[in-house]
Amino acid sequence: MKKTKAGKKIMKKAVKKKVKVTAKRAIKRAKPVVKRAKKMRIARKATAAAAPRLEAPRDKAEESKYYPRPTPYLPPRQWEHEELPARYGDTRVVLMARDPYWIFAYWEVSDERRMQVEREASASWNDLRKVLRVYDVTGKDFNGSNANRHFDIDITSEAVNWYIHVGEANRYWCVDLGVMTSGGKFILIARSNVVGTPRDSASDVIDEEWMSIEEDFLKLYGLWGGFAGASPGKVQVKKIMKERLQHALASGGISSFVRPPKYRGFWMVVNTELIVYGATEPDATVTVQGRPIKLSRDGTFSLRFALPDGDQVIPVKGVSADKAEERTITPIVKKYTK
Amino acid sequence: MEKGYLCIVLHSHLPYVRHPEYEDFLEEDWLYEAITETYIPLINVYNGLIKDGVDFRITMSITPSLCSMLADPLLQDRYLKHLESLIELSNKEVERTRWEPAFNRLALMYQAQFIETRRVFVDRYHKNILTAFKEFQDMGKLEIITCNATHGFLPLMEVCPKSIRAQVQVGANNYERFFGRRPRGIWLAECGYYPGVDQYVNEAEIRHFFVDTHAILHASPRPKYGVYAPIFCKSGVAAFGRDFESSKQVWSAIEGYPGDFNYREFYRDIGFDLDFEYIKPYIHKEGIRINTGIKYYRITGKTDRKEAYNPDWARDSAGAHAGNFMFNREKQAEYLFDIMKKKPIIVAPYDAELFGHWWYEGPMFLDFLFRKLHYDQKTIKPITPSEYLERNPRNQVSTPSMSSWGYKGYSEHWLDGSNDWIYKHLHKASERMSELANSYPDASGLRRRALNQALRELLLVQSSDWAFIMKTGTVVQYAVKRTKDHILRFIRLYEDIKADRIDEGWLADIEWKDNIFPEIDYRVHT
Repeated sequence: MKKTKAGKKIMKKAVKKKVKVTAKRAIKRAKPVVKRAKKMRIARKATAAAAPRLEAPRDKAEESKYYPRPTPYLPPRQWEHEELPARYGDTRVVLMARDPYWIFAYWEVSDERRMQVEREASASWNDLRKVLRVYDVTGKDFNGSNANRHFDIDITSEAVNWYIHVGEANRYWCVDLGVMTSGGKFILIARSNVVGTPRDSASDVIDEEWMSIEEDFLKLYGLWGGFAGASPGKVQVKKIMKERLQHALASGGISSFVRPPKYRGFWMVVNTELIVYGATEPDATVTVQGRPIKLSRDGTFSLRFALPDGDQVIPVKGVSADKAEERTITPIVKKYTK
Repeated sequence: MEKGYLCIVLHSHLPYVRHPEYEDFLEEDWLYEAITETYIPLINVYNGLIKDGVDFRITMSITPSLCSMLADPLLQDRYLKHLESLIELSNKEVERTRWEPAFNRLALMYQAQFIETRRVFVDRYHKNILTAFKEFQDMGKLEIITCNATHGFLPLMEVCPKSIRAQVQVGANNYERFFGRRPRGIWLAECGYYPGVDQYVNEAEIRHFFVDTHAILHASPRPKYGVYAPIFCKSGVAAFGRDFESSKQVWSAIEGYPGDFNYREFYRDIGFDLDFEYIKPYIHKEGIRINTGIKYYRITGKTDRKEAYNPDWARDSAGAHAGNFMFNREKQAEYLFDIMKKKPIIVAPYDAELFGHWWYEGPMFLDFLFRKLHYDQKTIKPITPSEYLERNPRNQVSTPSMSSWGYKGYSEHWLDGSNDWIYKHLHKASERMSELANSYPDASGLRRRALNQALRELLLVQSSDWAFIMKTGTVVQYAVKRTKDHILRFIRLYEDIKADRIDEGWLADIEWKDNIFPEIDYRVHT
């Protein structure tokens, strides 16, 4: 069971840190190296605490999502905002399924409901023990007392949401938010909607009309999982399939393309360029290294070249409009790098 | 006679980013880059195949938010301005690189490419490239499918099913406006599915959608043919599952084709590499360096010493990879046919922006692939999902399992400590939207405008992209801004409509800013 609040605070801090600009979906340009790394560490910690079950094998493709990219620092842009309402005055719990093993609840309790509860429990709100009661209601039309089982989670007073580790795929869940009186009585504040956790393995339900022999079924999935040819036992196959799937999924969803990481520590680049500029009569014809160039209206020109190592001989030739006069000036530049 | 089918799906999506209130807005570049690097190169590939008589089939989702941007006159003009500036930059580059032949050749390549892009964009399609895709669909080469309106992630909307209905309906109606007929298929954002979503798809008269591999592997009853045949949901809609093997060859950072050393290096762009004063006119007005799209290096290897890109070598690699991909699909189809005694359909979905934008040679790869499939073999046949269903009307009935194609396969990427705070507001707004739609079933005039705008704001805030960005930590401030903007606008509309005090001036202002879906009718959220 993981308490969200603390993790959340850290995340918030991390998010607030200057983030910058040019990015689309997952991975364009990332933050300055140090800050990025720091944030990722924090985020990791939070994730590790939140999801031990699917942790299994992380491969490099997934890791690479978190590698910092060497990018010049970009200034953050800020926008002024009114704040969103902290509360809407409702009393409710909403449940959402995150994956086969985790569900998420958020809630709100109105002031009136708080006061009612205080009266009923004869204690002040802050002193009351707040509890999430999690019911497994699989196969039930839940009426509050016919759950398959339930467990309680103590929550902190200020918490407004919680990630709940239910640990079981393909089950249905409902949550009551309530308080526990000193006498051990549970007072219900609000009941959530019902959500189902998704399956994490193949169904055992077989439609007779669409039955296939087990071996063919395995071969089909075998191709996908890459164990064609092997003939593992039934139980083992289910396990292998599950592992392979988890591995595949953990290697980074494919909703965004993952680029190979860059291996780069300290680095430096030096380049040189050469600017050749001058002026002549505005109606003259000018060539540089034999190629005609365009003059500005006032007869000036400016050219910029990437300058490789070696000698550059740059004859600049001007011819007057009436072709009566011409002049050639030839700068020679030697560049070498050591 | 073929042994199986290949269904290539390109999912093209960008969130609705359009800021008439700013002269230069950084995130609008996502669209401009995608047009230059992905959409127009794909159009060029399709036109080339048609010209040469190569029969091909591709399925493309073009999301309603992307369609709306591509058809928007303001963004079309801004794109053209952007492209003109790129052409100007490439002209300068041709000159600047004169003494370095390896780079000069590339500068000339970009110059020619940008000029051709302008010709296609302006002269051929009159700034609206949706007409190109529509033509390919009308010719029967392309099946364009829709997407839920703003790419909202549906599994996290389970408590507000009316929003799911609105997402699907608005998407389908928007499609009809651009493509002149009902969509036959839909891409559910991020392949996000939970049992029940299909019923809203069915209501919109859409016949098929796509899910990730495990949605089918874990479907119940157990699907006899795995992902190699679609299953029918109880609602009657077909679900096609992603083939893991063919995806991996393209997507994987380790084994995938795009990592080939001959391919162009994405992260070396002259927007970052060149002298600031020189590049300044071509980056963001506030001096923020951005990608220009001109990139001179190849991946080279696991090194920082990148070498100049060589288009011939890259072309050879793309050809070899297309051949390899085809060979593997042939073997796969033969193997599957043997077991299934029936032709398998191999569904290979990708983000369209992978092709061209990230993987520069991607469109060329597709070009080679479809030519080879057409001339060099008879084992596999490209097909669209609708064609497949026409030929195979009988399929197993089963219920796919809740899933997505995101990180770890479920909802974690969109429900996490970085973004879980948004759902309280999203769900509340959805509930209030239904309250409004039920209270005013026949609104007219100003109130009707306000109600329609309220639904636009709700749909825009539901876009999965905002939560996605908050989680990946890229342009978080922008994602937060968008979430807050739309929620605050929605709240004010809700309160003003209820109090009957709609401020027309303010309403007109947000109608101008958030102008998506002009055809919207708030009553779809009843």
